[in-house]
Amino acid sequence: MSGLVGQGVARVDGRAKVTGAARYAADSEVPGVLHGFLVMSTIARGEVVEIDTSQALAHPGVVAVYTHRDMPRLVLPDFPYNRRFIPMQDARVHHNGQPVAYVVAQTLEQAQEAANLVKVRYRAEAPVARMEDVLDEAFLPDMFRNRPNEIARGDAAAALERAEVRIDRTYSSPMQHHNPIEPHTSTAVWDGDTLTLYESTQGVVFTRNVVAHAFGMGRDKVRVISPYLGGGFGAKGPTYPHTLLTAAAARLAGRPVKLVLSRAQMYTSNGHRAEYRRRLQLGATRQGVLTAIVDTSTAQLTRIDEGIYNGSDSTLHLYACPNVHVRQMGVRLDLPTSSYMRSPETTAHFGLETAMDELSYELGIDPVELRILNHNTVNPRTGAAYAGKHLLECYRAAAEAFGWARRHPRPGTMRDGDEYVGWGMATETHTYGWIESEVGLTIGLDGRATLRAATQEIGTGTYTVLSQVVADELGMPLDQVTTLLGDTTYPSASLSAGSSTMPSVVGPVAQAARSAREAVIALAVADPRSPLHGVPAEQVVAEGGRLFARGDLGRREGYRDVMARHGRAVEVLGRGPNTPGHSFGAVFVEVRIQPRLGRLRVSRVVTAHDPGRVLNRRTARGQVIGGVTWGIGFALMEHTLVDPDTARVVNPNLSGYLVPVCADAPPVEALFVDRPDPESEIALGARGFGETPGTGVPAAIGNAIYHAIGRRLRDVPFTRDKLL
Amino acid sequence: MRAFGYTVAGSPAEAVRIAARTPDSTFVAGGTDLLNLMRDGAEAHDHLIDVNRLGIGEVALDRRRLRLGATARMRRVAEHPAVRREFPVLSEALLASASPQVRNMASIGGNLLQRTRCGYFRDSASPCNKRVPGSGCPAITGHNRGHAILGGGDHCIATHPSDLAVALTALDATVGLLGPGGERAVPIADFYLLPGSTPEQETAMRPGELITWVDVPRTSVAGHSRYLKLRDRATFEFAVVSVAAALRTRGRVVQDVRLAFGGVGTRPWRDLRVEAALRGRPLTGQAIAEAGRLLVADAKPYEGNRFKVELVQRALVSILSDLGGLR
Ligand SMILES: Cc1cc2nc3c(=O)[nH]c(=O)nc-3n(C[C@H](O)[C@H](O)[C@H](O)COP(=O)(O)OP(=O)(O)OC[C@H]3O[C@@H](n4cnc5c(N)ncnc54)[C@H](O)[C@@H]3O)c2cc1C
Ligand code: SF4
Repeated sequence: MSGLVGQGVARVDGRAKVTGAARYAADSEVPGVLHGFLVMSTIARGEVVEIDTSQALAHPGVVAVYTHRDMPRLVLPDFPYNRRFIPMQDARVHHNGQPVAYVVAQTLEQAQEAANLVKVRYRAEAPVARMEDVLDEAFLPDMFRNRPNEIARGDAAAALERAEVRIDRTYSSPMQHHNPIEPHTSTAVWDGDTLTLYESTQGVVFTRNVVAHAFGMGRDKVRVISPYLGGGFGAKGPTYPHTLLTAAAARLAGRPVKLVLSRAQMYTSNGHRAEYRRRLQLGATRQGVLTAIVDTSTAQLTRIDEGIYNGSDSTLHLYACPNVHVRQMGVRLDLPTSSYMRSPETTAHFGLETAMDELSYELGIDPVELRILNHNTVNPRTGAAYAGKHLLECYRAAAEAFGWARRHPRPGTMRDGDEYVGWGMATETHTYGWIESEVGLTIGLDGRATLRAATQEIGTGTYTVLSQVVADELGMPLDQVTTLLGDTTYPSASLSAGSSTMPSVVGPVAQAARSAREAVIALAVADPRSPLHGVPAEQVVAEGGRLFARGDLGRREGYRDVMARHGRAVEVLGRGPNTPGHSFGAVFVEVRIQPRLGRLRVSRVVTAHDPGRVLNRRTARGQVIGGVTWGIGFALMEHTLVDPDTARVVNPNLSGYLVPVCADAPPVEALFVDRPDPESEIALGARGFGETPGTGVPAAIGNAIYHAIGRRLRDVPFTRDKLL
Repeated sequence: MRAFGYTVAGSPAEAVRIAARTPDSTFVAGGTDLLNLMRDGAEAHDHLIDVNRLGIGEVALDRRRLRLGATARMRRVAEHPAVRREFPVLSEALLASASPQVRNMASIGGNLLQRTRCGYFRDSASPCNKRVPGSGCPAITGHNRGHAILGGGDHCIATHPSDLAVALTALDATVGLLGPGGERAVPIADFYLLPGSTPEQETAMRPGELITWVDVPRTSVAGHSRYLKLRDRATFEFAVVSVAAALRTRGRVVQDVRLAFGGVGTRPWRDLRVEAALRGRPLTGQAIAEAGRLLVADAKPYEGNRFKVELVQRALVSILSDLGGLR
């Protein structure tokens, strides 16, 4: 192996992206394409009584205006379609900003303006928009995706009762939106009874399956293409109504149709992080050993959906506590369905890690010490000891790099001029998934390798890392490897969500590359014209694009020579199972606060992570910086505002919905333990990692604020008014 | 956004003439606000008259005043040496506005006429008295963190978002207008109107009038001025609370002070009583605190913006303490 895996190899698609050569979904140029635009409901609950499309139809360039009366009847798909209804199948309105009509025109501008001219009359009912108005109606939903919403271990109530020290606090976090910079887009092209979709999606295979199901088609009749993504953050994981509606509109129009959602439409079309209330009760011995955790949460649900997308996973597995009781409740509101968003477990973890900090002060034990004291070594999935969990090392490494030993524990004691300095920390952890994947690898007559997999590049570096793996296993330079992703004509591979791409796909890729190498070696040693003829196959090594006889390096030839002589490409498939799991880390944060003006900045962040083996230092560090930055957004500013009377989003744009800008992002020192996890051996020891960084950031910032000024904030976002 | 016509005018007079004869027309400079409003359906116009080539983009300093041409770009004004030297509050207010990209495009005239950031105003499906007179003001019972505690009423509590306008208000600027009825000059104190029962009427401008320049008198106090902007992220965001202050002291005694506030009023907020309370007195923490209390004496806060009552007073203490060397 040439040792590319692990190095900070620059992105193989970087040049295409910065020069504009990379073609994103909406860049697709389809001859004869029409432009779609959605008309969204302006009530949150009720029924469409009448739709007057006459003015819109008279607008120049308009081809058609479809309503629930015209739409073909579709079959409601299951997860990963995560709404319990398809809009425009009937007159019912379930939330504000729900599609009620679909305009198709020659140009985008014409479609947009015609959408304004569609007049919709409703029978409106008063919506419930605010959680606080219905908290007494909270209920425990049924299983969601085979997971119960109440999980108990030991007897938490009794343990809490007996605990020497108790913490009982409530926390809240608001509704938030993903806000990828690339809007959702779908271009539907029918050719007879087959459908091609140019789509911005985190899962071409998932999208294909949902669409095929909805239209009652065979999966082989639907092709989904998504070579690049301008960010997803979960918003493009499930498949959403606009995709189904666009396919339907294109079928009705008999022409291809392209839809790009407006930014405002993205606030009601693709899920969001649900608003949460959480009560955490911790019980511990005076020495700091956790004896009970009760985690009772209430999430924003809808009248028809009961999906809980922000599991209390860390409560269940992070600390070694014998008595744990998790209840994930919800209340019904007239809002769009929530979904997975940027490290969904952050929502619950913010409460747990803040409560741990509160407990540390209650006990007078250093917050890092408290976590070390309660370190869990048992893998909840297997019931056996983790084979490779290095969280303790993360605490040590990050604490040392941060200078934690110099921290004065008492709040309000560290000053720098007129600024109060606060140091806080939290553990980071997130679940990662495994999704069965297959990949195809071809060694062409030119000796170059081409990998094909229907997983995708969502900005995290998939093209690069998979190319590294192929190059290493084949012993080939990186520039002789081409990776093709994001097309359902390739073998079905993982959704790029739930941190599952690497654990799911790296194994099959490595395996395919090994098979391909063996196949080429077999060709060489069997071919009398090869210098390697007769060398035992296991004595042949590959490096730099060439095959060598071990111990007789003069006997060698290139992949290209073997393949050219052979005259037929070598094609192999790779597959192989892995298991889901967790990645870990620690984040240490410094904040500087001028309480008089409520001014706060995050001035310094140090992280140490244990993602198993690091496949690419540079892209892994990119995940950390991105995660920390989004964590700052979560902690300090992100907040979707819903009007209490109309249940309409009041700030559906990047001017009203604040996300961090560069000036909010501090220097981040990202350390890695970087040791292969034997439990993920197939993926070269790498675990899923993308969602772990950032999970601890909101709590770490809140903990740092407490350390700086002695004020405990339990409701994000921590805006200026809360610091005054 | 509906289709619209577009004409590039060649002189101020021509721009005004075209406006007068073209129904549903309006001027466009950088377009950084207007086009967003049109896209969002908060405004609709049949015709845009481009004012970028009228020859009114100069920045000039003479004995009595600084003159900002209406189409001078925010960036040019912010970086102009005379502005930085003699009117630092203007430069600071501009540099604290928007982003470099927006400042490269956006003009002084357009900046003064940008519309409120109230989310209900910018959502064409929500009621809003300012957008659709008589439809109601959901901000009063809804989300009002960004809204005014001063100068509002039952009809509208939106703030004016311009930072520049706050600084110009502190420095007694004058706005030069050209319209079908000829030229006139309006002191900035009279330029922005309180919402009263007609929040749709934001300025004293008459239909078809063009801003041609903004004058700022040269005063010694302007040279000792600052802009303090508090917002919800480090940059690229409108003010939660802002203060433009200019101060001249002799010994410790306040000779002259000019104060205007952003983020708290339905227009750039100036209250001469606050300045009077400081003038002629030694600048002390006590004196500033008293002035601050006067400022918010008539404040009417709402659920989401109650904190501004305290914050604006603290901001006043902070900026005057800095300017007056109290720390
Ligand atoms: C993302 C973003 C962030 C921003 N942040 C800030 C901020 O922090 N602080 C701040 O102060 N501003 C901010 N702004 C607003 C920005 O400063 C204004 O959009 C800009 O100044 C408007 O200038 P313009 O030339 O583009 O005006 P246009 O958009 O062209 O016009 C705005 C209005 O002025 C009218 N108009 C323009 N010129 C004239 C004229 N000469 N005579 C008569 N009418 C005229 C137009 O008809 C229109 O009604 C922000 C804007 C954006 C997009
Ligand atoms: S505050 Fe003014 S702009 Fe906002 S909704 Fe009320 S009337 Fe409209």
